[in-house]
Amino acid sequence: MTRTKVLLVDDEVEFASALAERLQMRNYEVRTASNGLEAMALFHEMPPDVVLLDLKIPGMDGLEILSNIKKFDPSIEVLMLTGHGDVASVQKGMQSGALEYMMKPIDIDELTSKIDRARRKRERG
Amino acid sequence: MIQTIRDIFRVIRHPGDLFSISAADPYKSLKIRVVLLDAILSLLPLVIVVTISYFWFQSILKEDYRSQIKWQIENTKQSLDFFIEERVSGLRFIASTFTYEQLSDRKTLANVFLKFKREVSGLVDLGVIDSNGIQQAYVGPYKLEGKDYSNHDWFDEVTVRNVYVSDVFMGYRKLPHFAIAVKRELPEQGTFWILRATIDVETLSKFASAMNLGAEDDAFLINKEGVIQTPSQFHGNVLGKLTFPLPGSQQGVTVHEITESPHHECTICGYAELKNSPWILVAMIQSAPYLKIPRIFKNELLFIIIISTIIGIIVVTRIANTLVNRIQEAEKEREDAIAQSEHASKLASVGRLASGVAHEINNPLAIINEKAGLIKDILEVSEDPSKNREKFLGLINSIFDSVSRCRTITHRLLGFSRRMDTAHELFDMNDAIREVLGFLEKEIMFRNIRLELVLAEDLPRLMSDKGQIQQVLLNIFNNALDALLEGKEGAITITTDSKDQKIRVSVSDNGHGIPKDKLKKIFEPFYSTKEKGKGTGLGLFISYGIIKKLGGNILVESEATKGTKFTIEIPTTSTSQ
Repeated sequence: MTRTKVLLVDDEVEFASALAERLQMRNYEVRTASNGLEAMALFHEMPPDVVLLDLKIPGMDGLEILSNIKKFDPSIEVLMLTGHGDVASVQKGMQSGALEYMMKPIDIDELTSKIDRARRKRERG
Repeated sequence: MIQTIRDIFRVIRHPGDLFSISAADPYKSLKIRVVLLDAILSLLPLVIVVTISYFWFQSILKEDYRSQIKWQIENTKQSLDFFIEERVSGLRFIASTFTYEQLSDRKTLANVFLKFKREVSGLVDLGVIDSNGIQQAYVGPYKLEGKDYSNHDWFDEVTVRNVYVSDVFMGYRKLPHFAIAVKRELPEQGTFWILRATIDVETLSKFASAMNLGAEDDAFLINKEGVIQTPSQFHGNVLGKLTFPLPGSQQGVTVHEITESPHHECTICGYAELKNSPWILVAMIQSAPYLKIPRIFKNELLFIIIISTIIGIIVVTRIANTLVNRIQEAEKEREDAIAQSEHASKLASVGRLASGVAHEINNPLAIINEKAGLIKDILEVSEDPSKNREKFLGLINSIFDSVSRCRTITHRLLGFSRRMDTAHELFDMNDAIREVLGFLEKEIMFRNIRLELVLAEDLPRLMSDKGQIQQVLLNIFNNALDALLEGKEGAITITTDSKDQKIRVSVSDNGHGIPKDKLKKIFEPFYSTKEKGKGTGLGLFISYGIIKKLGGNILVESEATKGTKFTIEIPTTSTSQ
């Protein structure tokens, strides 16, 4: 089985870099983007299996990125990350096709098991 | 209630007290005002109706009495006319039945006199006068035979007018008399003779006294020169002059009032000219019974008014008491409800603050989590941790940075909450605004809102309640953020300036605005234009209360779909009440 390709979209660079390194140590192929445009550029370069998406991002809104991803390839699974108990945004995200959401700060084992589950779901089609 | 009535009387006696009472107890003054107003409203129509009906009744009575007097005078006048007519006719009959020669005979004349006297009362004497004015024959108590009347005025009168009724004169016995003379023409001889009778005035005055008049009233005859002809009770003796003039004589009976009579305040004077004699019948009425009847009526009316007033005041006082007590209760309930909801609103704004702060704190916590996790991961896989020393230091510094980020947030929060309770302090408005914006800058950044700060550099520091002002600012900023529309670039401008010892903060947005009809309601409690569940409807109500309490003012301008501008003005030294 090839390594799972993960795209991490978060404006907190410190957070994104540390999380990316940890995931790489756990044998994931990770790329990070700090805003919507960057994310979309990377997306076309290397289509990921799973996207970790922070909902509150300056510039292009998290929900907007989500709908762009789903437009490009509906089979790509999206996990939402949020530091905010904004129930309305989470609900909208779930309606737009996100698989799950997680509250920051996140537990790394929980995150990897969710990424794996998303990958399996994508493989099954 | 008795207390209220006592207060009302106190206010009526000393109107200035109304203000001292109103200062002490607004409900009491409201009560008194309600009572007075209601009493005036309910009793004024009563007084008006009673007064009008009193005067109306009086004028009807007066009119009625006047026509009664008029009718009596008319009756008496006719009796007097008839009395004189009867005597004139009697003399005429005698003069045409008997010849001059027959009556010149003293015996025949005496016979006629006796018979005539039996028929008509008051006859004193009877005389026959020839065309030269010499009394040829006379029957009566005096020796007047041969008296020459040719120089008397009445002789000329009777020769011209055939009948003559004289004014009253004093006879030889000092008794008032009047004379009637009739002329008998003798066309064959071309001469004439006159039959003259003297009549006692007492008979005339009987007619006047026969009028149904009161003890203070007076009825008598006068001649056209105003000389009294028959005895009067109050207006002078016979042949005396009447003390007041009578207005020009008219046909029939005239009745009018003399207000400046010498005897009484008000006198009704009625008079009528007699037909065949030179006299005027005068009746002076002083008893005026119509003035007495209204007095009884007046007392009854007064009684009714007093009873109605007492009942009215009792009822009105009860109503006012009930009304004001209800208002007082309602006001208290409302105050309780507002106090409760103010608390609820404080909790709601704390909730909003909490969710914002949670996001702020969760992000650095997430960084700490990942950095610490990475260190742990590296330690687990690496055999020689000292090789990663530089990396660990970087990660740990990053953790410290995140911790200080959290500390900034919690300190800011603590400072804010501490100031919720403190009273006045000296502070800079621009700093206060920046502190409040600190809570909102993430939201402003995420939503791509253009925030423009036009803060005056030389703003004087102000002595006021910073915590409460910041609560108001937070409320207004939140409202501006909520008003911004999705799909349109939001812009908020905050301006500060100072003028006349006042600091002014304006917050304008380009959001959905407030329609005119809703604009006047926004400061009312529980009024909200936000979606259900989003607003408590208390934010601006409480803000308004705070700013007013600090001696300031809060203004709003808005245009639907264009945006809203809130302006608060706060005095640089405000005294909290």
